[in-house]
Amino acid sequence: MIALAAMQTAFLAQIRDESLPLPAGWNDRAAAGMAIYRNNYRTALVDALRETYARTARWVGDDAFRQAAAHHLILLPPASWTLDAAGLEFDQTLAEVFAQDPEVSELAWTEWAMLQVFGARDAEPLDAASFAAATAGFGEAEWDGLRLHFLPRLATRLITQDLPAIWQQLEAPLTAKEDNAFVRVDAPLAAPLACHVYREGEQPVFVTAPAYEYGALTAMLADASFGAVCELLAQQLGPDAAAQEAGAMLGRWLHHGLIEAVLPPR
Amino acid sequence: MPADIPAFAGFGLGLRTAHYPDFLDQTARVPVDFVEVISENFMLDGGRPLRILEQVRRDHPVILHGVSLSVGSAHGLDEDYLARLKALAERIAPLWLSDHLCWTRTSAHNSHDLLPLPLTRAALDLVCANVDHAQERLGRPLLLENPSSYLTFPEDELTEWHFLSEIARRTGCYLLLDVNNIYVSAHNHGFAAADYLAGIPHDRVRQIHLAGHTPGIAPDDIIIDTHDRAVADGVWDLYAQALALLGPVATMIERDGNVPPLDELLGELDTARRIAAQVAGLCAA
Repeated sequence: MIALAAMQTAFLAQIRDESLPLPAGWNDRAAAGMAIYRNNYRTALVDALRETYARTARWVGDDAFRQAAAHHLILLPPASWTLDAAGLEFDQTLAEVFAQDPEVSELAWTEWAMLQVFGARDAEPLDAASFAAATAGFGEAEWDGLRLHFLPRLATRLITQDLPAIWQQLEAPLTAKEDNAFVRVDAPLAAPLACHVYREGEQPVFVTAPAYEYGALTAMLADASFGAVCELLAQQLGPDAAAQEAGAMLGRWLHHGLIEAVLPPR
Repeated sequence: MPADIPAFAGFGLGLRTAHYPDFLDQTARVPVDFVEVISENFMLDGGRPLRILEQVRRDHPVILHGVSLSVGSAHGLDEDYLARLKALAERIAPLWLSDHLCWTRTSAHNSHDLLPLPLTRAALDLVCANVDHAQERLGRPLLLENPSSYLTFPEDELTEWHFLSEIARRTGCYLLLDVNNIYVSAHNHGFAAADYLAGIPHDRVRQIHLAGHTPGIAPDDIIIDTHDRAVADGVWDLYAQALALLGPVATMIERDGNVPPLDELLGELDTARRIAAQVAGLCAA
């Protein structure tokens, strides 16, 4: 058993690294077979990343994408049973590879987050009427202690580039020349925005929002109370604006259907 | 010993995303007796894929066919994987579950490919222990499929058909015979496909896969199991030989790449039906 485990570890290492020598006693036929396994490994994983990050691939072009994907698979070889997970943290690799083009990693992060919500648990978002019913009779203490349960795998981050505009560019039909013909139009934002990724019915979507929502939503996803988030906003926006913006933010979350439930008070 | 799997002698297709609209069209039922899906594509918490699978399941029996069980892994089975597969099986109530005689992972990494095992007695013991464990956790017997392979090991002690036969005998699992894979491996390793067919326990075979492969340029080049084109003539011939030994058995066209319009695959399935009828007629005579 130990010998077989060692053999499998070595075999997989040889697939991943062509510079490693093949075992003694292997003939040319076996070496040719190993070349096929090596090619299968690379092809399947790069194809998987291309499927997960279809828009990112189109944005950077196929050659650059393939190189970045191959680099990522060396940095972070797949470990999960699901091929979908091969793209884990690819946005971070792209942030290094395309350090001068921040939209690349932001686009990739968005595609990864959309894949996560695609297969997330089904959940009905809370509508405004249900939220009103759940919070009816709340006094100041109850509002301060309000905690929310959000849609499964809802994700948020700050973006510096106009992702909606980039997304729209990428919606255009492919040309005959395919990816190499795609002309990128840079779209930096004047100031960062929050980007929330969630699922509307069966469809993953993203929405941008004022930057402060990133910190607020991150905190509430980590079980912070609404009161704690209001304090956070007051530090960023000042007390008067914070009170106003906090209410508007809750309204937007309800409008987009990000909230699944109001949690019972503690 | 796990429960029996009754024989089911229909003709089916692998369900692919390009054909979802055909299978969801309530005005025209796709003329297949079952569909097979890749288990891992549906081992999700929710969302569209599961909804579609449940919809298809209302019209067709479903087989769950996996690629990541890794029964040949010396590093043990992935318990999270088994739990998710069991949950999917309980949700879908498939005809059966299948996976491959191969390994895909070590404790650290996953190749996402069906890697070959040395056909040794030690490896046999290990696979049998893993199959026993998987069947116990899943609460049902498995079908194991013969993979295509591109190399053999100097330390091999058994033929692949002996290896599979022993697994079936010792664990009570059933077999999924990929006739294309036999054809590919026979060419690549220089054994007679007829010996393979003769050497497996015929009463344990519950399903056949038919698929295409990429031939080599020179006659003795390694040929590659690409599952991306029509079934080759030599594979059809081997299918007829298999049916003569096995009798009626669930048969499926498995196309994984270059997926054509559904009608093209249904045409191949009609060819399988025609061959099965001819073989049945010959056997009856």
